[in-house]
Amino acid sequence: MDASLLTIQPNAPEPIYRQIVEQLRRLIASGQLGTGDLLPSVRDVAGFHAINPMTVSRAYGLAEAEGLLERLRGKGMAVAATRRASQTENQRLALLEPQLLELARHARELELPAEPVLRRLTRLLDD
Amino acid sequence: MNAVLKETAYAAAPLAVHGLTHSYEGSSVLRGVDLALEPGSVLGLIGRNGAGKSTLIRAMLGLLQPLSGSAFVFGEPALKLGDDAKARLAYVPQQPEALAWLTAQQMLDYVGRFYPRWDTEFANRTLERWNIQPNKLLAKLSPGERQRVDLIRALASQPELLVLDEPAAALDPVARRELLREVALRAGESGTTVLFSTHIVSDLERVASEIAFLHEGRLLLRCGVDETKERYARLWLPAAKSAAAPAQALSRRRHEDGSLSLVVERDAHEQWPEAAKLAGARLDALGLEDLFVEIAE
Repeated sequence: MDASLLTIQPNAPEPIYRQIVEQLRRLIASGQLGTGDLLPSVRDVAGFHAINPMTVSRAYGLAEAEGLLERLRGKGMAVAATRRASQTENQRLALLEPQLLELARHARELELPAEPVLRRLTRLLDD
Repeated sequence: MNAVLKETAYAAAPLAVHGLTHSYEGSSVLRGVDLALEPGSVLGLIGRNGAGKSTLIRAMLGLLQPLSGSAFVFGEPALKLGDDAKARLAYVPQQPEALAWLTAQQMLDYVGRFYPRWDTEFANRTLERWNIQPNKLLAKLSPGERQRVDLIRALASQPELLVLDEPAAALDPVARRELLREVALRAGESGTTVLFSTHIVSDLERVASEIAFLHEGRLLLRCGVDETKERYARLWLPAAKSAAAPAQALSRRRHEDGSLSLVVERDAHEQWPEAAKLAGARLDALGLEDLFVEIAE
């Protein structure tokens, strides 16, 4: 993987380390990054995007803790073997938590009761 | 006990000030500033024009005597800094410094001799990349070019402490990105401590590990960049609900229709104020620029 595959928006409300983790998650989910693919070094990412290396380390550390990446001795970070099957339902649900919180917030702002929102969501999930 | 702890922390900090006040012709510029930098951190200093940023930087480095308070560089009193400490720091002011009768090349060759870790190759390469004619007298360069030469001088000396006052003003976007890259990598890899002031918030969001927001001579906010983004948000309450607004807010603005905008903070349990859950209330995450505009208005 090349450092240019990441897009950094420094002025977005979302911290840069979260932007990186989110993009890694998407690149892996979409298959653009496969098991064992090597990640660019912290220095490469920091240098390419002119961002603080600590931010990149923090993102990689978080992605490692989530099981997205694994540290290979002497080689750096690589995409971890997919553990989707071995993750419990609760672990997988926890990955959705930020989006669910966001959805709940929007629903409240629009003063929508739970029922129609859940109905719509159920239909989307069944598709 | 506290005082002892503080003394020790100050001795370890590359840069530290305590209770700094200053005024020009009777009007207060600094109204009691406490600030210390951890080794290897990149602190972005932000504030409106006239907030006192340059004065604070100059006082921190001992380049002006404050009305009251103390300043330390590498644990030494800033006003009586030894040559050894001076060789470990580099400062680029907004206004170019002296030696205008030399060419850029002559100046860099000359000052390079005073720094044990001078990087000649970097100096020559960057002169070319930043479009400085090496044989032109410094006096004949534009103010922007002069500041670029000063930045090259500062970086080539490979300082342990790098202090930049509004470095972005002199640079086009490409050179600015190069400077940020240098700052970020040096802090991350060589442990260089960096203090820089800027009004370009996105620069700061790229490389700073922390921000300090100076407003009317006081530090209004001192926080990690990521933490700031995650900890503060703008809460908007419709007029009918504005009475339920939390008492604690960093800023509070009433709109013409009676609705209310507040900058609110998560509590110790990571929760937003109760009012954010009211029907019709809206909570928006803020980039740093929006946050500062909200607070400084």
